[in-house]
Amino acid sequence: MNKLWMHAIANIRKTKSASGTLVVMFVIAALLLNTGLLVVINYGSFFNNLKDEIKPSNVYFALPDKIYTEEVKTYINKNKHVKNTQMNDGLVIGADILSKGEEKSFPIMFSNMDEKREMSKWKFVGEHLPAEEMSVYVPDIFKAVSGYKLNDKIKVKYRDPVTKEAKSLAFTVKGYTEDIYFSSTDTGYISFYLSEGTYQKVANILNKPEYRVHIVFANVDNMKNISVIEAGIREILHLNSASLMAADPSTMLVVIDLELIGMARTMMASMVSIMMVMFALIIVIVCLLVVRFRIVNSIEEDIMNIGSLKSIGYTSRQIILSVILQFSLIAGIGSLIGIALSYPALPSISAVFEQQSGLRWVQGFDAGISGAAFLILMVFVVLIAFVASRRISKLSPIRALRGETTSRKYKRNHLPLENAKGKVPVVLAFKSVLQSMKQNIMVIVILIAVAFSGSFGVIMYYNTAVDTKAFAEVPGMEITNAIAVLNPQKDQTEAVKTIENMDNVRKAVYLDEVKVKVEGNEVAAYVMEDYSKKETRLVYEGWYPENNNEITLAGILAQRLGKTIGDSVTVGVGKHQEKFKVVGLSNGSQMGGLNTSLLASDYGRINPSFRHQTLNIYLDKGTDAEVFINKLEDKFDKSMLLTAVNFDKGMAEGMASYQKIIAAMGLAMLIITLLVVTLVLYFLISSSLIRKKRELGIQKAIGFTTYQLMNQLSISFTVPIIIGALIGTLLGAFYTNSLMSISMKSVGVMRSGFIVNQYWIIAFGIATIVFSYLLSMLITWRIRKISAYALVTE
Amino acid sequence: MKNVILKTNKLCKSFKSGTQEQQVLKNLDIEFYEGDFTVIMGSSGAGKSTLLYALSGMDRPTSGAIRFFDAEIADLNNDKLAVFRRQNCGFVFQQMFLLDNMSILDNILASGLLLSGDKKSIVLNAKELLQKVGLTETIWTKFPNQLSGGENQRAAIVRALINEPRVVFTDEPTGSLNSAAGKSVLDVLSDINDGGQSIVIVTHDLNSARRGNRILYITDGIIGGECNLGKYVSGDKLRHEKLRTFLSGMGW
Repeated sequence: MNKLWMHAIANIRKTKSASGTLVVMFVIAALLLNTGLLVVINYGSFFNNLKDEIKPSNVYFALPDKIYTEEVKTYINKNKHVKNTQMNDGLVIGADILSKGEEKSFPIMFSNMDEKREMSKWKFVGEHLPAEEMSVYVPDIFKAVSGYKLNDKIKVKYRDPVTKEAKSLAFTVKGYTEDIYFSSTDTGYISFYLSEGTYQKVANILNKPEYRVHIVFANVDNMKNISVIEAGIREILHLNSASLMAADPSTMLVVIDLELIGMARTMMASMVSIMMVMFALIIVIVCLLVVRFRIVNSIEEDIMNIGSLKSIGYTSRQIILSVILQFSLIAGIGSLIGIALSYPALPSISAVFEQQSGLRWVQGFDAGISGAAFLILMVFVVLIAFVASRRISKLSPIRALRGETTSRKYKRNHLPLENAKGKVPVVLAFKSVLQSMKQNIMVIVILIAVAFSGSFGVIMYYNTAVDTKAFAEVPGMEITNAIAVLNPQKDQTEAVKTIENMDNVRKAVYLDEVKVKVEGNEVAAYVMEDYSKKETRLVYEGWYPENNNEITLAGILAQRLGKTIGDSVTVGVGKHQEKFKVVGLSNGSQMGGLNTSLLASDYGRINPSFRHQTLNIYLDKGTDAEVFINKLEDKFDKSMLLTAVNFDKGMAEGMASYQKIIAAMGLAMLIITLLVVTLVLYFLISSSLIRKKRELGIQKAIGFTTYQLMNQLSISFTVPIIIGALIGTLLGAFYTNSLMSISMKSVGVMRSGFIVNQYWIIAFGIATIVFSYLLSMLITWRIRKISAYALVTE
Repeated sequence: MKNVILKTNKLCKSFKSGTQEQQVLKNLDIEFYEGDFTVIMGSSGAGKSTLLYALSGMDRPTSGAIRFFDAEIADLNNDKLAVFRRQNCGFVFQQMFLLDNMSILDNILASGLLLSGDKKSIVLNAKELLQKVGLTETIWTKFPNQLSGGENQRAAIVRALINEPRVVFTDEPTGSLNSAAGKSVLDVLSDINDGGQSIVIVTHDLNSARRGNRILYITDGIIGGECNLGKYVSGDKLRHEKLRTFLSGMGW
């Protein structure tokens, strides 16, 4: 065994460059695989551990003071599905806060940290200082994403909800917090914890019912019954006809349950981790193909040594074992380094996820997962090494000593020069292509893999950094520029006409969001008079309702109900129920994918109290929605215009964290793709230069220049690269959306429609080919060192 | 008076091995003439092959000058040397060095088409030369590993001649052949020399040396002696004796 180790190590030393390249490739593969597996397996469980530690309630109902009644409190407390409750008060403002030099909007809830809270506790994260006057403890994202350090001043700007006067509050950051419900920018409120004294001071400043909110935490017998309880609350408060999306926040019921918050806070990480693991697997496959290639080549290069070993009595089994040892050692070293490097990389990945999740994921060494990643790689390497080196047993010592390999027997003269057209180096390159079909197939497969992941990365980057329209459609909202919430109790006809005639208004269309029961399930429903006026087309099969009693179901809802196009479903509000025919299936993550689209006339029939309230306002391109809203607020008083929402701003801020993560992921995939192409080409061409040293020497002797030979070799690699890059890029272009559909199905995107910009894809394909060719030329520059004289004297 | 085709001036070549430097060629001044069959002989390590490869632009001298017709080649860079070789030199090596992955005809055309764009005449010329050296059409499409050593060496000679070089350089062309195959190769070389082709050959084989009209003997990096045998005539015993006497005098 010692001798076999000796041989393995001697071989590694002899092929330092090739072994080094393989080590680097395994570093990348192991880094990606370990990171991907850690995120896939541990990110979700990290959230679960946090739940175990903090023990959040199953749900909370946020009841603004303006709609809160004792009747509701009693209803919740005495509901048969509710096990126990706790109520805490808070002060809510729509705040603008500086985040890394940029002002961003946050729904802030001030909470009294000294108020007793048994359910849904919160905790400090990291160091915190004692509370002083006007000090605040903020969610950890304000440190990780916004950059607030301890003792930094944080200015909270807001507008008086009645007078619209701009105001602000200033605090000193004394620590960072984490809780399940109030730490993420994506769902509900973000809680700023204040000491009793500071809270009372702030309460005195925010002394209006519009600011006050009552948070009722509740544990229930079954999570499914939360919608029943919510429906009861809405009935008591007569909230059914109210728009859910853009209503006046001071009259809006917010219901967030543990499943929803879990999905929202871990969704991005799950999506990205699936991509990471898939990408890691692609890189692992590439590594294994390269290992196989290297072994086959090394057998050819070392054929005489193998013959010598056999002749002095080594068995084939021993030689094969030394090959397996050699490559296991290379893979082992690379994998260990990659796994080790993945741990220092995790905080950066965690910080990226934290932008969206608000979770500071701290991952220590996980022996189980890292061991599994290491084992996966090693088992495959051993298997590949064994299969690839089996041919050693077929070599007789004498044939091996003569340098006769089993693979290099030329039988067919491809492209005879007598008939071939073109310059000699080019024809010779094509000859070489036709003579190295096994190598070509490997290059093609590798390029398909990397070009596929590269084009996937390009598409992701394009959709998150260049044209974000399709990405913005993921949540399933209608993309508009501004939303006016009008008083449903008033005749809005004139108001709508006035808005339509305002400068820069392209179109104004009602699109309300309400709640209905579909087959007994509480779901969100979009209500429109005419869906042809909708600009965000989310239907992936069928169409939006055109005639009475037609309905479009979100894909997830349709799956859950077991319904498809042509089926009928019962839709109701309260006691009113009607049968609807399913005419379309749509994407959309609203209410976890439980949403539907109805015609306003139909909804008006099943809910006679329904009045339009939410008017989507589409502005001319380049119009500043903020300026428009100011004009709108000047034109209408509070009795008609309940509130106006800058959708552009909200959308940009809401999508920013997602865009950053996906764009970073896309860019990383692109860079890794190019790195892998570089490594693979370096490896293949270096091996080829060693193998073809004699051939190149002869060609130099008879008068070929270094440039001609560089070109000849580079072209011979470029042909399979073109084929692989073409297939990989096309697969990327055609299947990226299928892949994204798989990873986003859980969030309601059944058929993703990311923009595949043909110019970007073509540019990527061409760039890959040109990059590979130039890289090949650079690597083959070493040919200048191959001397014709060395050929004859060696 | 013969034309000088190659002339060296204070030609030196040394090799470094670790800290030690070994001077193989020492201030050589030699001339080579057009149409000659020049044989370079000498004991092992005397510098025969080193001289051949310096003269043919396969390697650069450490110092000194080499004039090939009107061109100074000692200072040319690698690529210019490659172009110089393809235009002026033909090579026949002991190990043949044919490209394994090409047929015999392609081996020759790869060299011929590198220089000339006139494919038709190159192909015709290659086939004529192959016929001339006794390689029939049936083996033109075969690969080197399917032929005998003698056949491969004759193919290598055709490759050397395809571009009508000014000089054919050959290093132990019969070194790895049996006597019959060796004789056939030497016959081909004599034939082409009869046609006016200049040949410079390095050998330690008497049968090969006998074919030359001029013998240069190298001893320790300098020309130790020179012998003119005159034009080769098959069965000339006097010639053989003259060569033996010369070589004995050189300590052979």
